[in-house]
Parts: sequence; C-alpha cells; structure tokens
Amino acid sequence: MTKLSTPAASSHLFDFKGTIESKSKTVTTPNPEQTDICECSVVSAKDFSFYYGKTTGVKNISMEIFPCRVTAIIGPSGCGKSTFLRSINRMNDLIPATRATGILEVNGQNIYDKRTNLVNLRQQVGMVFQKPNPFAKSIFDNVAYGPRLQGIRNRTKLEGLVEECLKSSALWDEVKDNLDKSALALSGGQQQRLCIARALATNPRVLLMDEPCSALDPLATARIEDLIEQLKTQYTIIIVTHNMQQAARVSEHAAFFCLGELIEYDLTPKLFTNPSHKQTEDYITGRFG
Amino acid sequence: MKNTRREIQDRSFTFFSSLSIVLMVGALVIILGPMLRRGFSAVFFQGTVEFRRMQLAQFGHGDEEAVADEVAQVTELRQEIYAILNKFQAGIEPSALIDRVRSINREYGQELRGKNIVGADYTELRRRARDLRDLLQDALESTDRELVEANLKSVLQHRADPLYTDSVMAEMFVTARQYQNVIQGIDLSHREQYLEPLLEVKDQLRKLLGPMPGEQAPLLMEEYGATRWDIALETLHDLLWQEQWVTVEAGQELQKQLVRREESQFAGTSLAPMFGLAEDHLTDLLRPKRTIYWHYFTDDWKEGHFFGGVGPEIYGTLLITLLTMLFAIPFGVISAAFLVECASEHISVKIIRICVNTLAGVPSIVFGLFGMAFFVLFILPNLDRKPQGCILTAAMTLAVLVLPVIIRASEEAIRSVPATYREASLALGAGKFRTFMTVTLPAALPGILTGIILSLSRAAGETAPILFTGAVDMGPVPRSLFEGSRTLATSGYYIAVGDKIGMMAPHKQYGLITTLIVLVLGLNILAILLRSRMSRKLRGQ
Repeated sequence: MTKLSTPAASSHLFDFKGTIESKSKTVTTPNPEQTDICECSVVSAKDFSFYYGKTTGVKNISMEIFPCRVTAIIGPSGCGKSTFLRSINRMNDLIPATRATGILEVNGQNIYDKRTNLVNLRQQVGMVFQKPNPFAKSIFDNVAYGPRLQGIRNRTKLEGLVEECLKSSALWDEVKDNLDKSALALSGGQQQRLCIARALATNPRVLLMDEPCSALDPLATARIEDLIEQLKTQYTIIIVTHNMQQAARVSEHAAFFCLGELIEYDLTPKLFTNPSHKQTEDYITGRFG
Repeated sequence: MKNTRREIQDRSFTFFSSLSIVLMVGALVIILGPMLRRGFSAVFFQGTVEFRRMQLAQFGHGDEEAVADEVAQVTELRQEIYAILNKFQAGIEPSALIDRVRSINREYGQELRGKNIVGADYTELRRRARDLRDLLQDALESTDRELVEANLKSVLQHRADPLYTDSVMAEMFVTARQYQNVIQGIDLSHREQYLEPLLEVKDQLRKLLGPMPGEQAPLLMEEYGATRWDIALETLHDLLWQEQWVTVEAGQELQKQLVRREESQFAGTSLAPMFGLAEDHLTDLLRPKRTIYWHYFTDDWKEGHFFGGVGPEIYGTLLITLLTMLFAIPFGVISAAFLVECASEHISVKIIRICVNTLAGVPSIVFGLFGMAFFVLFILPNLDRKPQGCILTAAMTLAVLVLPVIIRASEEAIRSVPATYREASLALGAGKFRTFMTVTLPAALPGILTGIILSLSRAAGETAPILFTGAVDMGPVPRSLFEGSRTLATSGYYIAVGDKIGMMAPHKQYGLITTLIVLVLGLNILAILLRSRMSRKLRGQ
C-alpha cells in the first residue's frame, strides 16, 4: 500500500517547493471562524477509522485542524491519540495488517489515495517522536538529512538551511561552534531540539509531535514549550500529550479522545474550564484516566 | 531466615561463576601452554653452527664470511674426533690399510726408479720392501693376536733404518704403529662384532655433526648435522647410550636398559675416549647460539618440513580466508537484510530461517563433500578446467560453511536496531533502501562484525572442508587461483597422519599449530578493535 506516483498524475499532490504562502507572521486570535491568510484547513478527517487487524485504533473521527495553530490531542492511554497522529503522515504503514477507512485529507488531498506520493507527504508533514532519536551522525548531517533527500547538494545552501533550522529550534547558539560533533553526544533536551530542527529542515507545513517532552526533565520541557510558542507562527502543530497542564499552556485548540473516538474538540480555554461532555470533565478533573 | 538464604544463594552463585572461570582459564593454560611453548620454540631456539650453515646454503640467509669462519673453527675441533674414528675403523676393517700398504710398495718401486737405483740394489731393496709389506699385510689380515704382535714388532724394528727415512716407506711404519695402538683393546678374533656398532656410532655422529669430510650425503636431510641444540642433545644421548634388553628376573619379560657404549660395546678399545671427548666438548663442536628465526614465516620448507619455515602455509591460509570472506560477507549481509526488511512475516521466510539455523550446525565434513561434488566435480569441468581442488573451490566451500553463521548474526543485529531509528528516517521522507543504508546498517554494524569475526576464525582453521577441495600436501607456491595450496591446518594434519620426516621434527608440528593460533588471534584482535571503534562512534564518543 505505497504510493505510485507518476509525474503527470500526482506530482501536483504535495508538491510544494519554494515558499509556503500559508506562513503567517502575525499571531491570530484563536477563532476558527475568522478567515486567515491561509484559508483552508490543513488536516481534515471525515469519518476516518483505522484498524490494526481486528482491533480498532480509532473510529469515525471527524475533525478539522486549523493552520498556524497548536492543536493538542489529549486522552487516557490507549485511546488512539498516537494512532491518529501517525496516520496523518502514514507512519502506520510500517505496521503490517492495518486498514484505514474514511477520508483523511492534508491540504485538500486524500492521503490514503493510492496515488499519494509518500515521500512528498512525509516531507510536508514532519514528525517529532517521543524519545529523541537523532542519527548516529554529526549534528550537521542530522539536520541536512532531509534536504539531501530532496536533492539539495550545494554545500553553501545546506549550511544556510542548517543554520536557519537550528536557529528556529533554539539550538544554534549551543552547537554553532562544532557542527561536526556527534549528535549522540548532546543532552536529552538538546537532542530533542535537534530532532525538531531536523524535522523543520524539509520545510513542512505541518509538524506532528508525539509526546515530545515526556522523556525530558522540566527545564528542557519548558524550553521545548517556548519553542512551540515561537514555531506556531509559521507552522501548524499538532501535539499529543499526557500532560494536561502542558496542553492548556501551549495549545489553542484541544481534542479529547477516548477509546478510539473523538469525544470533544473545542478551543482550549473552553474545553478545560467548561467542557461540554461529562467524559471530558471526568478526565480533566482526574476522576479517571 | 529468608535473608540468609538469599545471601547464601548470591554468594554461592558468585563462587561458582568465579570457579568456572578459573577452571576454564586453567584448562586453557594446561592444554595450550605446552603446545604454545613448543610452538614458540620453532622460532625462538638455540641454533647450532649447522643451522647457520644450512640457512646460508639452502635459503641464502646469513653472513657468508661469519659462517665460513665458524665452520673453519669447528672443523678443526672435529678433526680430533674423526681421527680417532677413522683409526678405529681402520683397526677393525683393515682392508683399506691393506690396499694402502700394497700401493705404498708400488710407489716405493717408482721412487727407487726415480732415484735411478737399478740392478742388484734395486732388486734387493724391493725384496726387503716386499718382505715388510707381506709381514704387515699378514698382520693386518690375521686375527691371531700373537702373530699380529710378532709381525708388527718385526716390521717396526726397521723403523729407524735411515734407508727409509725420507721415503714413502715411512708411512708403512706409521701405519704399523697406529695399528698397534688401535688393536690394543679389540678382540681380534671377533673383529666383525665391532662393525655394526661402529656403523651405528657413525650414523649418530653424522646426525650430530654432519657428514664427515669427504663423505657424500645422499639426502638433503643428511647434509647437515643437528641444527637445533635440543635435537643435538638428544642425538648425543643416542650416541653415548645404548639400549639393551636384559633379563632382570628369570622367567620374566626382557627389560630395556641403558648402558654407555664405551662401557659395553667399545669397552677398552681406542674408540672409547671419543665418547668422552664428544660429550665434554659438544658446545665447542656445535656452537649453539640463541636464534630468533624470523624467516620461519616466509621460508618454504625443504625435505618434508625438516628444514625451513611455514611461509607458503601462511600464505595459503591467508589467501583462502580472504577469499572466503569476500564471498560470504556480501551474500550473508544482503540475505539477512532481505530476511528482516523485506519479507518479514511471510511463511517462506520462517522456513528459510529454520534452514539457515540448521545449516549452521552441520558438520564441516559434509560441506567438504558437498564442495567437492558441486564445485570441483560439476562447476570446474563446466569452466573447462580439470576437476581438481583449487583455492577458488576451497574458498567457495568455506564460504558456504560460514554463510549461515553470518546470516544469523547479521539478522539478529539488524533486527535489534530500534524501530525509532527507522521511523525517524522514514518520517523525513527517505525510502526503505535509503533508510537501510544510511541508518539501519551502520547501527547494526557491531553485531554484524561479531558474526564476521567468529566465522573468520572458523574459516582460517578449518581442515575437513578444504581437504578435498583445495588443499595439497606439497607443491609449489600457487600462482593462480586455480591451483591447490598448502594451509596451516591441513599441513598439520598431513604431518600427523603419515609424514615420517615431519614427525622427526616435532617442533615443526607445534610451530604450525602455534602459528595458526597466533594468526587467528591476531585477526580477531584486529576485528575486535575495529568493532569497538565503531561502537564508540555509534554511542557518540
């Protein structure tokens, strides 16, 4: 179930090279009705279900993720948060015997279409994992991995790109003296920021973060959260987190998943102070989960 | 109480694990120690002047002048021994003396004619000389001691005669005198009984000091005496002592006893002092010196491993091992990659894995027979070559032997690379192949190297698979891959199985095995260093 991309038919799918128009420099108020500079929703799920063999991962998810916002997905363990997240860049393809029904669109294109160019999709939708996983290469090679895949070979261009990404992820000042040092020699928080820089290097529209701070100490967590604040002006960020305080701090929208279903999806302040569903309220107040 | 029981368990666990390690090390030391010691003596030993002579003549190693010097000095000393020997031999085998005496007589005649003595004087002198000759000849031939003594005495009476002072007849008197000395202790009536022991003694002496001046050695082995001090001492022992079977108790089996020759066979004869001479001055006769025979690793052997080194064997082992790795590593790693990455869940993969694991345990002789049947008897004729073993087929057979080990180890290593590495790469848009080459393979490299190290040692030391597919026991150093070659392991086998000459040089056998062990150890250490460097790089240091 991989892509068959012929240049004519589907190269237009996710074929965004060069500048991205939807990068907004101003901070917009969290109102989904307000028209932004980027008009369409970035990720849109319509009745999306995902199955691992016989087990259900998620069922009938319908939601729209808005651009240049941080959307948090919360919920108890095993409720399908990570499944949904990983579906967006089709990382679940790595697991055998899986099945998806419904529509999941990124930038208006159904990514479970047979003609989808997976390489392009994954370069448009970057991902940061729970445990920092830099490659056993130098810092420079780590960040330059993505651009090199895209065919950029010019050393100067690569250096500029690496610098920009490291600056974006607030790591530049700490490593600029020695970019050839092995990435594994960095501390945990630094490695995670490196992974974020690496994900940014391919110029994605969407950044998926699967519990990025759960393996880090509070100080590093705080720095990552600051980073998310800075990045959200340019990227659409979807973050899965166990930490409700973190969700309340960083996100504008929040979605509550439970047992594979989307229970509630609303603006963060509203969801945390005045949830519409009882299940949400129970979870937030700690009565279960 | 529970605490003490746990304590006892922990303590005994520690104790038994330490004990097992101690036992293992002890076993290694006991088994390998003597073998390695003797093997090292193939390179580090006391070499005699014969060794240096042999090295110069056969291999061209050494300083010509120094060796010639030494040989000259030593020859001087040896003359004494040879003189005693020759005289004794003449004493019991006087045929040479008799011929000489007769020819002296003839030469005397020529001498007289040369001095222009003719007529009656000539006849008279010739008659006297002839009489002397007959007397002496009778003395030499006879076994009646009284007769011999009487004849010799009457011959020697004329010794002071001025007639014979400057003439060749003087030699006749010298011969008579020497013969008189020599026969002192000999039982003349049984002269022949000394012949055989004398030949034995001469044999031992030749093994010790090399051929006597003027003798030709039919075999290369006999051209040189004892080349090593330890062999010299052994040969000396055989020279000095004789084995006898004696009856210790009536009715019982005969027992072996050692007696000194000078007291048993040659008691009282003129040969007796020679033994003491040889024993006391052996150091001067052979000049042992500490030698480090570095060329052991490059010299070919001569005369069935008796002389020389193991150069071609080392070359053969290294060549075959290298070729084996060249065949096996790419096949093995790629197969493992395929099994893990591409076809992981299919039933056929499970079957393949079972087969690979089973093959890893098949006895090596089976691979040897397979190699012979397939590579030698089937593939080679199809390539228009003679169906006989060569380096190429040996390497291919060994490659098939080590392939399962490499596949198994590589599979484990690749499988154990954490999924997050792969995910990170795929999430950036890399394809499967790219991900494998740039992320998975480097991370799995230490484990793959372990498999390679293990199979390297195995391939270097294997004997059975290459016996029929490429190893030979003698022959020139191979020039092409389609020739057979000698290897360390198979040479050790061939010596042990029937090479009598090789058995005479046991240090050679030990040397072969020690070289193999040291070679494999060296390769392992190299590979382990390489692997640890890679591991450190992977961990970021």
